[in-house]
Amino acid sequence: MKRIIILFAALLLSFSAFAQNGKSIYQKYSDAENVSAVYVSPAMFRMIGQIPDLEVGQENVNLTPVIRSLTGLYILNSENAAINGSLRADAERFINSGRYELLMEAKDSGETVRIYTVGNDRVIEGFVMLAAEASEVTFICLDGQMPRKDFEELFSKAMRK
Amino acid sequence: MKTLEEIENLSLEELEMKAAETAAPVPDGLERRLRQALAARELAQAARPRPARWIPYASLAVAAAAAALVVLPQRGPKDTFDDPLLAYAEVEKAFQTISEKMSVGLDIVRDAEQTADMPYNTLNKIQK
Repeated sequence: MKRIIILFAALLLSFSAFAQNGKSIYQKYSDAENVSAVYVSPAMFRMIGQIPDLEVGQENVNLTPVIRSLTGLYILNSENAAINGSLRADAERFINSGRYELLMEAKDSGETVRIYTVGNDRVIEGFVMLAAEASEVTFICLDGQMPRKDFEELFSKAMRK
Repeated sequence: MKTLEEIENLSLEELEMKAAETAAPVPDGLERRLRQALAARELAQAARPRPARWIPYASLAVAAAAAALVVLPQRGPKDTFDDPLLAYAEVEKAFQTISEKMSVGLDIVRDAEQTADMPYNTLNKIQK
């Protein structure tokens, strides 16, 4: 019995050590050298949601539904060759451990871009973009309850520009 | 020697009286063996660790591990921006970065479509 309880405690600790998500990856790498990091909290998103007439570039796009539905934005851009491999591996482990589906993969001029989403037909609960090239890795993770229709409309309009 | 039927006909009081009249023989060394068995049992009980000693510590360890799991993830990172407008500008920049990267994929698809249409267009020209 004693061994079982100790084993259970060890298992709990080991699970917590290996559990990866956008936040844990951000916290692990955000203070490293040559890494630019941005975190926007749910509270800040609520404040942003109060800003009227949000625009993307020159075309008026209503970002408000997407912004209000976000609960976290984590951006890591690493130009540190010593951690790029580790960051990429952690991000891939996080993606593989969740229910993320590959939305798009593009390989061009030595750069690999993968975009993943998790959710259902109506709502996107998580969005991850992992762009990796020889000297740079970019990790963008969005958490929230984003209406899929608004999300797709937003990016289709932005891409048409 | 009584027959089985005679014994069955005896009352409970008569049976008890008969039993009290004849002393049952005690096997040799029974007392010694009983003492030894009791002593061995006491020794075994003394050697076994008392569960009450370690259960509170183990419970505390499990509770601490569970609390760490619950509390630690709540200590989130600090907001990069204090100003919502600056935060919004960064969100917009992130969306534009995502759009650009998605556009790369769409450009590749468009190129592939053009390449795939080439044989079809060539055949059409030849047929004309």
